[in-house]
Amino acid sequence: MWLPVLGLLIGLLLGLWTEFRIPDAYSSYLSIAVLAALDTLFGGVRAHLQNIFEEKVFVTGFFSNILLAASLAFLGVHLGVDLYLAAIFAFGVRLFNNIAVIRRILLSKWTANQEKEN
Amino acid sequence: MKDRMIIFAIVTTIIGFMVAIQFKTTNEPVVRDTRDILQLRQDLRLEKERQQELNEEIDKQLALLNQFNQQDDLEDVMIDALNDLKERAGLTSVSGEGIILEIKPLYTDYGFVPETVPPHLLRFLINELNIYNAKEIAIGNERIISTSAIRDVNGVTHVNAKRIATFPLQIKVLANDAQKLHHEMVVSQSVEYFAIENLSLKSTPVNFITLPEYDQALRVRYLQPIKEES
Repeated sequence: MWLPVLGLLIGLLLGLWTEFRIPDAYSSYLSIAVLAALDTLFGGVRAHLQNIFEEKVFVTGFFSNILLAASLAFLGVHLGVDLYLAAIFAFGVRLFNNIAVIRRILLSKWTANQEKEN
Repeated sequence: MKDRMIIFAIVTTIIGFMVAIQFKTTNEPVVRDTRDILQLRQDLRLEKERQQELNEEIDKQLALLNQFNQQDDLEDVMIDALNDLKERAGLTSVSGEGIILEIKPLYTDYGFVPETVPPHLLRFLINELNIYNAKEIAIGNERIISTSAIRDVNGVTHVNAKRIATFPLQIKVLANDAQKLHHEMVVSQSVEYFAIENLSLKSTPVNFITLPEYDQALRVRYLQPIKEES
């Protein structure tokens, strides 16, 4: 359980310590990639809690989602349509769904534990 | 189970990295001082010049204040100051040594004979006169002040919203050293540019000319005092 948290911390520190910046024009791509990655992560957590987790699906989903989101944003820029909004919408909805499911699973587990103790 | 956690850890690491970069990119716009010594010196020089200007201004105002304090008759000093300002704004006629530039068509027997002086030539000429330290300029009977407009209206050049005189057009220029200005105008680029438009520019130095005052109401519409930042 602590390993992913440690990874997150390491990633944050790495990003803050390395003097690495991307041009302003590309920051929207990065933000959408972050959103896609978060979506995949929470999907993975949910799958893990529902015991239907598969490594291959997770890893391929992670990278393909990021690439798809970025390319959608790229296409949107070139077509003059804000296509990245579509990605933001889709990922946002899925993010909320996943978090809701995770919360329910955790809640039911917690209540089950409480009942067991009683 | 361990593998799964490692995969999660890698994914969270990547997410953390991306979030950190995004944070840095959006929160800290890169404003670095990239000026080199030369540019710094130039900026310093500019600031020093500005300081000098401000100091001069302060000195002038202090002198005026002194005058106010010393003299019993305030009115005279104020009238003096007002007249000084009027003279500087071009609202009084001025005289002194200077040159007279006469503009007329170069050839009238063949080719294109211009009927008026194009505005861009007049502007070029005024710029060049100012480069050569002309003090005051009048085109025909129109005094050039800091808000004078030289425009083309329906094919006729207007100065101060009035038609310029027909040929030969006289441009009177006041200068501290009329001979020097005369020589400079004889070899100036304006002569060539005027010649391209089939116009001749002849300069004559004179010991005493009088320039008319700006005779219209001076309306300042779009000017505002600069609020000096500390």
